[in-house]
Amino acid sequence: MEVSFGGFQVAVLAAFLVVTVALVTIFVVVARQSTRNVAFGEVTHTGYRLRRYWFAFLCLLLGSGVILALFFLPYPGNASGTATVNVSGGLFYWSMTPDTIPAGSEVSFEVTSTDVNHGLGIYDPDGILIGSVQAMPGYDNQLNLTLEKTGTYMMACLEYCGYKHHEMLKEFEVTP
Amino acid sequence: MIRGATASPTGRESSTVLHPLGQQFSPASDRPQNLIGWIFGGTGLALFALMALVGLGMRLVQAETIAVSPQWFYRLMTLHAAGMLAGALLSMMGGLWLVVRSVVPGLSFGRAIASWLAIVLGVVLVLVSVLIGGFAAGWTFLFPLPFEASGQWSTWAAVTFIVGMGLVGVGFLVYCIDVLRATTQAYGGLTGALGIKWLRGKDPTGPPPQVIAATAVTLQGIICSAVGMTIVMALLDHTIDGDVALDALWAKNLTYFFGHTIANLIIYLAVGMVYVLVPLYAGRQWKLSKPMAIGWLFTIAFVMTAYSHHLYMDFVQPGAPQMISLVASSAAAIPVAVVTIYSGMMLIWGSRFRWTLTSVLLYLGFAGWAIGGSGAVIDSLIPINFRLHNTLWVPAHFHNYLMMGVGLWMMAMVAFLLERAAGRPASRRTTIWAPLLMVAGGYGFVFSWYISGALGIPRRWAVHPAGTEGYSLVASVFAVVFLVGFIMLMAEFISLARTALERRRASSAGPTLPSVAGASGEADPGLDHAADPLLRTPFGIAVTVGLALVASFALLPPISDASEATVGFHHLAHGAQFFIGSMLAVALASSPSIARSVTARWTNAGLVTVVLVPAGMLLFMVPAIYSEIDTDNFLHASYHFGVLILGFITGLGASTLGRTAGWTVLISSIGMALMFAAGVTGG
Repeated sequence: MEVSFGGFQVAVLAAFLVVTVALVTIFVVVARQSTRNVAFGEVTHTGYRLRRYWFAFLCLLLGSGVILALFFLPYPGNASGTATVNVSGGLFYWSMTPDTIPAGSEVSFEVTSTDVNHGLGIYDPDGILIGSVQAMPGYDNQLNLTLEKTGTYMMACLEYCGYKHHEMLKEFEVTP
Repeated sequence: MIRGATASPTGRESSTVLHPLGQQFSPASDRPQNLIGWIFGGTGLALFALMALVGLGMRLVQAETIAVSPQWFYRLMTLHAAGMLAGALLSMMGGLWLVVRSVVPGLSFGRAIASWLAIVLGVVLVLVSVLIGGFAAGWTFLFPLPFEASGQWSTWAAVTFIVGMGLVGVGFLVYCIDVLRATTQAYGGLTGALGIKWLRGKDPTGPPPQVIAATAVTLQGIICSAVGMTIVMALLDHTIDGDVALDALWAKNLTYFFGHTIANLIIYLAVGMVYVLVPLYAGRQWKLSKPMAIGWLFTIAFVMTAYSHHLYMDFVQPGAPQMISLVASSAAAIPVAVVTIYSGMMLIWGSRFRWTLTSVLLYLGFAGWAIGGSGAVIDSLIPINFRLHNTLWVPAHFHNYLMMGVGLWMMAMVAFLLERAAGRPASRRTTIWAPLLMVAGGYGFVFSWYISGALGIPRRWAVHPAGTEGYSLVASVFAVVFLVGFIMLMAEFISLARTALERRRASSAGPTLPSVAGASGEADPGLDHAADPLLRTPFGIAVTVGLALVASFALLPPISDASEATVGFHHLAHGAQFFIGSMLAVALASSPSIARSVTARWTNAGLVTVVLVPAGMLLFMVPAIYSEIDTDNFLHASYHFGVLILGFITGLGASTLGRTAGWTVLISSIGMALMFAAGVTGG
């Protein structure tokens, strides 16, 4: 199995690095200021004023993230794809019907498990993880995906299921 | 000065270890506090060190530097996670107890030790299960994996592991009940101890910050433990009778509610300790404030509702918990960033901060919490989770805040005790180099995971995708750097311990440390005081009896006959019978004549009762056990009456724990019966 960076994941990593650098800067600045002798009244006077802005900024940042997330939920709702693919996980295999999919069609993966919990992770022909859904005994999870690229995709198990968990792989083809 | 805080008996460390103005905020140093600090902190750190070595071994296997079979890898993975959880939990339970005891003398030393014993016994069972029994279903023991061993372990190993984790939950539950009982009795009930009375102007001083933290954490801890106990008992029932069917989604919800909440609460236990330790080095008191009191109320709400982000990729999970979790997971960051960490930074800014080994570790712990928390918030957004779920991003962020946050605070706690006992700070060389190596190694270690997560490498894989071994190798090198720093720290701890022992010998002819009742078995004059009754007014008693009467309609033939239709309804009827018994007991124990005789002497018996009886009831709710007597009307009725009696006994037990702890544990017990009815369907 091959993996590679996807643009989405790299963007997320970059955003996290920006946050980390900002936080490290704050901690370094506070540490450098810690040995000075400043009256606590002065610290709180400025600190409480700045805290309002900090509170507003965080509410805006986190609130925007949550609202934005609502527009890109992977849940299918009542929508179903133009093609249905039944996927079943078992110790330690995937079965899939049909096992070839035409490119560009929105596929509804109906995912379940015959035994324990598994996790279906789908990697595109470039090795980029394009989505995942859990495979649970007694339940059908529906994952709608449009597979644009042609080539060999990989299904991997993303929920620990036993001693051959890392071998639970299956390839499938998306054809023109 | 913090209410009830006492100066160090020696007073010698102030000039060298603490900030000149920090001494006045020092928690007491009496025998029970020191013992709890050493026992919990020492055990926790020993587990941390052992499990860190296991973790390094796992990374080296993934780097293909050493060869271990996948079977052994997954066994070690299971052990590493369960051991780290227990170690961090123990440490921070001890850390909070240490600082709360100064202002809440009613905390019981004996019950703290009992909780330690339960957790240590649980860890021993986990070790036996994994190392001898070969159990490798992961620390979350997600149903039905423990019973689908593929020939890798036998049923006894699964049962041993589940009982072991159950004992960890029992130990935490005992601790939570006793701390909640003590803080709420000392600070005017739940609203007093959470600072709500102070917010409303009905309490002029309000509780110290560590009391708010302790009350909030233990309140949630009781609920979390009850949920954990329910899934543990359901799994044991499945072991007794394989026909007992558990709903997989229900089991997942309970497992992650327990696992997520207890892991989160470890951080918030630590916060209570940090409230007291940081002022010692800043010379400024961490005072109660309105944002802090309000922040804790929101934190309770957010921590209790965020767990569903573990089930984002379970598309059949109802939408409401998913949306609540989406909001709660992000919102939980606001009290942390705006109140706790921000206030800590204000305390430190311009304070002529006293940088010692302890304070350096405390400070770096804040950074680990903030950076790891940011990684967690990013992953809690559903579209991002869709592409990062169960990749290495997940261990990256939780190692970031547990290893580089809580882990450093665990070390800070022991460093604080040692520097205080030795009367000198750690050497300058160690104070600089040990944290520096651990930060360089720790962040290198977790960032190799963040990058691997973005690359899409799955977590919990013994063998990583071809061509990615280099990431594991780099991570292993950084882990070794972390361990070098940790070993340097341990060497300094040994040096400090030697100094402390010499100092103790030198002062052995001098005044002895003050002792507190309960540490050495002497009589506590408070034992004859009546426990706070669960119901204070005749109206409350009447309402409770009325509720029991309403529930007793479930005993009437039309309803009881209908309840025999399915196992779920039958178990619901058991819940009703348990409810009736518990309500009648509470009403009886609250009547003035009886309430006077329910004294604190009964607390131990009451605590044992509320822990064992509800769990025992669930253990016997196996159709294979009770179906035999279902055919005989008298035996059948006796069985249901027995469930009512179990509720009655639990109600009596809860009545010895004071109003807040008693009601919390009783409602949780009833909740256990209802949750069980909702998910256990077969048999």
